Amino acid sequence: MKKNEKKNIQTRIIVIGVFFCLLFSAIIVRAVHLHVFKGSWLSEKAEGQYKRSLTDTGKRGTIFDAKHREMAVSIDVTSIAGFPRSIQKPSKTAKTLGTILGINHKQLRKKLSSKSPFVWVKRYATPKEVQLIKAANLEGIGFLSENSRVYPNRSLGSQVLGFSGIDGQGLEGLEFYYNQYLKGAIANQTVIQDALGRRFREEKKILAEYNGNNLILTIDKAIQYITEYSLDEAVQNFSGKSGIAVVMEPSTGAILALAHSPRFNPNTYQESNRGRWRNRAITDPFEPGSTMKIFLASAALESGYCTPNTIFYCEEGRYKVGRNTIHDTHPYGWLSLQEIVKVSSNIGSVKIGERIGKEQLYDMLKKFGFGEKTEIDCPGETTGLVTPYSRWSKIDFATISFGQGLSVSAIQLITAVSAIANDGVLMKPYIVKAIIDGNGRLVENFQPKKIRSVISLETARTVKKIMQDVTAEGGTGTGAALDGYSVCGKTGTAQKVGKTGGYAGSGYVASFIGFAPAEDPKLAILVIVDEPQEQHYGGIVAAPSFKRIAYETLNYLNVPPRQVKSVVSSEKLTTFRDKGANG
Amino acid sequence: MKIPGITSDSIQYDIKLLFPVLILVGIGIVMVYSASSAMALKKFGADSYFLKKQSLFALAGIIALVAFRHIPYKMFRPLTYVILLFALALLISVKIPGIGYSAGGAERWIRFSGISFQPSEFARFAMIIYLAYSMSKKQEKIEVLSIGVIPHVAVLILFTGLIMIQPDFGSVMILCAVTWIMLFAGGVRIKHLLSGLIVILPPAIYLLQIADYRIKRLLSFLDPWKHSSDSGYQVVHSLMAFGSGGIFGSGIGQGYQKLFYLPEPHTDFIFAVIGEELGLLGVLAVLGLYSVIMWRGISISKNSKDLFGAFIAIGLTAALGLQVCINMGVAMGLLPTKGLALPFLSYGGTSLLVNMACIGILMNIGASQTR
Repeated sequence: MKKNEKKNIQTRIIVIGVFFCLLFSAIIVRAVHLHVFKGSWLSEKAEGQYKRSLTDTGKRGTIFDAKHREMAVSIDVTSIAGFPRSIQKPSKTAKTLGTILGINHKQLRKKLSSKSPFVWVKRYATPKEVQLIKAANLEGIGFLSENSRVYPNRSLGSQVLGFSGIDGQGLEGLEFYYNQYLKGAIANQTVIQDALGRRFREEKKILAEYNGNNLILTIDKAIQYITEYSLDEAVQNFSGKSGIAVVMEPSTGAILALAHSPRFNPNTYQESNRGRWRNRAITDPFEPGSTMKIFLASAALESGYCTPNTIFYCEEGRYKVGRNTIHDTHPYGWLSLQEIVKVSSNIGSVKIGERIGKEQLYDMLKKFGFGEKTEIDCPGETTGLVTPYSRWSKIDFATISFGQGLSVSAIQLITAVSAIANDGVLMKPYIVKAIIDGNGRLVENFQPKKIRSVISLETARTVKKIMQDVTAEGGTGTGAALDGYSVCGKTGTAQKVGKTGGYAGSGYVASFIGFAPAEDPKLAILVIVDEPQEQHYGGIVAAPSFKRIAYETLNYLNVPPRQVKSVVSSEKLTTFRDKGANG
Repeated sequence: MKIPGITSDSIQYDIKLLFPVLILVGIGIVMVYSASSAMALKKFGADSYFLKKQSLFALAGIIALVAFRHIPYKMFRPLTYVILLFALALLISVKIPGIGYSAGGAERWIRFSGISFQPSEFARFAMIIYLAYSMSKKQEKIEVLSIGVIPHVAVLILFTGLIMIQPDFGSVMILCAVTWIMLFAGGVRIKHLLSGLIVILPPAIYLLQIADYRIKRLLSFLDPWKHSSDSGYQVVHSLMAFGSGGIFGSGIGQGYQKLFYLPEPHTDFIFAVIGEELGLLGVLAVLGLYSVIMWRGISISKNSKDLFGAFIAIGLTAALGLQVCINMGVAMGLLPTKGLALPFLSYGGTSLLVNMACIGILMNIGASQTR
């Protein structure tokens, strides 16, 4: 009996063993099921929770000047972030942070006690702030590295460079135009996130390859600086509303300087007037006035109807065209074509226009690129306005002959004048020389590009001579003459169209355009001063500024001066000024 | 057959039992560290907080194992009622303010001189000793309902009642199951055992219904994904852990679910962390180690010449096996969520100490057979 019982118990113990065997087997089956058959589905679900795809952008590229000096750079800055889920005492944290950063405590507390896993506390914090917050050792507060755009030269070339916004998007100027190149590539990063929303970077993927490309400009920082202060001086001396100055290399079309006055500081662009952001040399059309006479002269000479010595009767200062009367500042009788340009006679210009005809003039203006975009690599370029000659009335034709009744941009004007300097060959203007990547490899290289031959070499040389005479004694542009360099130029004084549509006589645009040295032009320079007060003649307002830019830049570029002394002494120059000049 | 003095037998250890236990304890320490470091760093400022404590517990466990290996199990026989009363006293003391304290909405702990202890773990041991004593004494009349079943069930009801008010439903489940298995092993008639089950059913359902959170747990177990944001949260993340592990696992320390997704990763859900970091192979290895322990436990029970020893052995083995199965079942979404430790692996001093002491007792029973 006892033995039997014992056996019975042993059997039951074995049954228990088998029972546990079954339970364990069930667990094994379940384990295989979970690990192997449902593994991918489950791990996907899990990854959906702890893996976060973060898009990080590479550093924005640098903008260099022609000599690799920094014009715009991106620097690493620290931003402060909050992870509300791991903040135990939002009000205390907010108080500490608020005191350091000078932010409203209440607003900060609201942010820090929100439900979102991530909030910005302050972007682009200063190193001192970061140091203080790190020292405070707050839980749930993190530091993120970001890039901030810095313009080390402050307002230098501000309208050309433009600026980019806080999210690294180019908004104006070259920053906008070349945004695709400059901006950093988007690096998709997988970030591990714990249930409290704290993130762990799996791997630091941000490498140079995600950084944006760098621009190398044709602009030279030094020339830009010379141009800007010379322009500022002209604008300030004559209380002008604003000014534009452009320096171009005639043989290539490369922009060496593009200055505006007044400027803004792109580091704090939000604080400046929106109206200042535009690159007006490119975007704003204006009536050029007498500077256009050189293109009229080019048309006349190229047509073969005239030589520099062809004479025209200038009607002693008054000339009726239909119901309108054209005036000259000084009454002239017979003047040669060369003299007409030199003294800038409007009546003479009308007469030249009449000689060659509408079509010739229109075609020449078009060939010089007026009425069309120059395709310069800047945003928002204007075409200017040159109406087809078929629509020109008699008075339209007359005024267009001396540069009123049409509009051009500063860039068109300097490009066209450069064509004369460049022996009649029109070059495409450009401002970016090359694009290189973060490792210095060339991405794109911009070569000078010839557009067309506008006038013959002979005509070009003749026009140059006429222009050189403008700065010689008796010309309107003597104020631009340089010691040691021969200067070709032309003054411009345009009446601005008043609000009523007519030339009300309220405002003027004074300009000077030219190039130097005459024999082998290295620089073409345009200076425009908008609405100068007291004086409005281009020869007085803009020419000295041209002179200064030309002189200092030629020195800077080590262009050797002639050994001969300048034909115009400064004494004579003053006397001429007193007499005043027309346009 | 008794040989006086120290013999090679008395210092001999059942290595087939000892090694799996030690390996599991070792794996436990490593996995507790892996599972708890992130949380420990956040809560206590030191990632090794739980690692250090678990290591100390393991040391105490080994001492307990060695001690009980050398205490002749027959000594428990005359002490049965003392142990039983002591266990009752401990269970009651949980409710005494100043001694008992609660954690996670249940009063399961007592504390004296800085050391916390879970009386329900001891109650299980006491119950096993009592049943082994009682059944071996009444062996002849075990098939009589009033003798073989009623007294035991009465003690069980007393214990479960006290544990229920903590409340600790998991411990109640194990206690009932262990009792049932021991009664089965003891030779109680199958008819009585089955009717016992039927008697248990109504109060069990009633208790499930009065406690709201149990219903929630039960519901979430049936469809955890539907309740993934509340009651099914733990199970869902536990399942994700297993699935992410694949066959080879993500590697020790490389798991993600422990990063505050999985609650209690170092205690109740340590198996999920093992599943994620050591993969299917790790899970199977752990199961293999438990299987060896179970096999040893059952064969010790089967081969014991003494019924008291056989019953203790089967009781301890069953209790261990049930803990393992229920914990794993919960972690793998096969059973509703229970707050139960995984023996030798989960963080926790009481569980480790009691379970290792039990292994010591098992060894002692096993060693006694050969004498």
